[in-house]
Amino acid sequence: MNALEGLTVLDFTSHIAGPFCTRLLAGMGARVIKVERPGGDTCRFLPPFKDDQPGPDRSALFHYLNADKESVVVDLRAEASRGVVSRLLALADVVVTASSPAQETALGIDYATLSAVKDVPVVSLTNFGHEGPYRDYTLSDTVLYAMGAEMYSHGLEDREPLKLGGTAALLQCGAMAAVAAMGAITAYEIQGIGQLVDVPLFDAQVNNTDRRNSAIMAWRFSGRIQRRAAGAGAGLAGGIYPVSDGFVEVTASAGNYWRRFVEMVNDDALRDPKWENPMTAMNPAAKEEADAIVYPWMLSHTRGEAWEAAREARAMLAPLYTGLDIWQDENFRSRGFWTEIEVPELGTLPMLGRPFILPDSPWRVDRAAPSPGQHTDQVLADAGFTTGEVSSLRAQGVVA
Amino acid sequence: MSTLPLEGIRICDFTAVWAGQTATMYLADMGAECIKVENPYIWNPMTRAASPRMNAALAQMLPPWIAGHPPEPGPRPWNNSSAFMHVMRNKKSFTVDSRRPEGLAVVKQLIRISDIVAENLALGTLDKLGLDDGTIQSIRPDAIILHMPAFGRTGEYIEGRGYGSHIDGVAGSTVLRGYRDTAPVDNANIFAGDYWGGMMGAFALMAALRHRRRTGRGQVIEMAQSESSAHMFPQAALDAAWNGRVHGSLGNRSVEGLVPNGVFPTNVADSWLVISCRNDEEWANLVAFMGRPAWALRPELATSSGRAAHEDEIEERIADWTATRDRESTFHELQRAGVTAGPVLNAAEAADDPHLASTGAWKRLPATEDYPEVDWLRPAYRFSVSDIDLREPPCLFGQHNDYVYREVLGLSEAEIDALAAAGHIATTYAPEALNG
Repeated sequence: MNALEGLTVLDFTSHIAGPFCTRLLAGMGARVIKVERPGGDTCRFLPPFKDDQPGPDRSALFHYLNADKESVVVDLRAEASRGVVSRLLALADVVVTASSPAQETALGIDYATLSAVKDVPVVSLTNFGHEGPYRDYTLSDTVLYAMGAEMYSHGLEDREPLKLGGTAALLQCGAMAAVAAMGAITAYEIQGIGQLVDVPLFDAQVNNTDRRNSAIMAWRFSGRIQRRAAGAGAGLAGGIYPVSDGFVEVTASAGNYWRRFVEMVNDDALRDPKWENPMTAMNPAAKEEADAIVYPWMLSHTRGEAWEAAREARAMLAPLYTGLDIWQDENFRSRGFWTEIEVPELGTLPMLGRPFILPDSPWRVDRAAPSPGQHTDQVLADAGFTTGEVSSLRAQGVVA
Repeated sequence: MSTLPLEGIRICDFTAVWAGQTATMYLADMGAECIKVENPYIWNPMTRAASPRMNAALAQMLPPWIAGHPPEPGPRPWNNSSAFMHVMRNKKSFTVDSRRPEGLAVVKQLIRISDIVAENLALGTLDKLGLDDGTIQSIRPDAIILHMPAFGRTGEYIEGRGYGSHIDGVAGSTVLRGYRDTAPVDNANIFAGDYWGGMMGAFALMAALRHRRRTGRGQVIEMAQSESSAHMFPQAALDAAWNGRVHGSLGNRSVEGLVPNGVFPTNVADSWLVISCRNDEEWANLVAFMGRPAWALRPELATSSGRAAHEDEIEERIADWTATRDRESTFHELQRAGVTAGPVLNAAEAADDPHLASTGAWKRLPATEDYPEVDWLRPAYRFSVSDIDLREPPCLFGQHNDYVYREVLGLSEAEIDALAAAGHIATTYAPEALNG
């Protein structure tokens, strides 16, 4: 049995953050009814595409975010859509939206309108929340990370700050919304509470455990601002090293991890007790001396060899993988990280599998993402519309 | 009626570092009673501070994110680390030496009345204590157990050791986040997977709780953090799997194809403004705002694909334009003109941001003996009914010993005295832990 079996999510989200939230709910077994705009979610037109050929059903990202969902195309700008939304709400246990406060109201999917129809939890992802001076401002993945997260201290001192790869900041906010949604679902199912759950993307990044919360607390406690580094850290062997076929990252902090690292490199000069003095770790000259031994060792090993040696010594070293490495790695495959989807006209394609293993209520990737409006007839029938009503709505362009 | 969704759920919490402690924090925020199991005889690395011997001089030599203690860290630096105190909110801390039989018995008593046992320690640590899954399930048959190993509990990499940065490496994060023109050797000390792992762990736990409500069954959750974190970069993994393409770093350019999408200098040193044109309309708005310079009016720049062919030039031109401008006013004016833009806020600027202040992002907590009165972050989301908030200050080491031993475990005075005499009950670490 899936963990969220029997739960229906009415999903008004598009692009990346909101759909990732509802994808997590779908992965745990919820029925997710995706209400799409005419023409389809903008994410359908985001790369990468199969064979680099764009098309509404060819985006790998869209399939990743929308597998196992049902698509109903509704033009929320049409007045007649209000009746459709009301009847879809009757099916729902939780609603997720990801529009600006102004759009929510204009489209009739704001909390006041929805809760007047049915008292369910409404998880509302917005850029900056429903109030405050930035309320109507827009965000991209990079602006989000710049304002919210600890981008300022990522990169090199004499250059511009750096973002994360891909669209990680947006996906992180989707994950945060999913955590909030689970809390809201629990309150609804156990305590009968319907409520607005406001998830500002900005706040989700300000709460980022990756150094942001820490850097703000550091400012408050010590008055020190976290800045970008001049270069790779000083001191004992640590940071990213080139090996013969790429790079590895090493932590060899004083104590056990230094001793295990020395065991791995197996060089007597590094066994000198002077290296165990914590002050050595602060000394750039010491790092140079250590690097003169460490670099040759690294460059005579491949990533795979270095990682194997590290595992044997219980040293803290791991390779830098590309997406291709993750796809080709035998261990990722044999553990079941990868699965497959069946896409009409494209055939069987690989898909990222479970992000975690719940053996008694497993993650699912059962169906590829839907085509726009693929489930319009079925969902509207479930919501109580007759075939005639659906035809009429189609003729008016309210649904498609 | 209670308004906290996880009221009545208890967590026996062995988590460490960031990912694990973040996961259980989200459940504590939602009302679970999260009891940290801490050992006065073992310094758990990167869990309460970078070092138990942190002092003013050492703190100054380390980066603020890991050692931003108050200027005088004092005798208990494990109670005032900028890096870790914030993941202790709404939790309770009690101490016990689980390696000794009477200590292990206490832990087992706690497990008997807990719904969740969570850990992200080095693989096998709980097993060595005598708390393997089978034992936990024999004590508490419907327990939900969360393991968060770096690389999995099965397979070739189980002996791999890793903190967040190593998990980021294997998850494909590190190679994607450098400058376009440098090797990734300077990309150290980013831990995107810690945030991600915390959220994913909390999500998985709440899903398992629902499953248990419906079936009565617990389960053993395995979340290999490297696998989980690879989900942060689906474009890179899927372009490889579908098309055989390898993604490297794009610098600050957009994988979504937004042009421009960059970080630009302003009239103050090290003060940066991000500008992203999310569509052609925003580009047209930007061009109008810049005063329609001739270079920007070339018809080939009107579409994103056209701009992509001239991205270097566009970035140089915009940087020339922003370099003489004030960051704050340009940010607000661009947003009002329909261009997505925002400042790169450093920690102090975020702490003083007017929007965060006006929307109630912070809550002031009173000083303790170990840290001063300051504003702390509340949870990222606001529930209109449920009181999901920063309700209880971050737990100090051993702060809830009385509560846990007396009220939760119901031990007698004599039992408590004996455990205290044997050193299990403490609010400071034993000398051997500090010198280890």
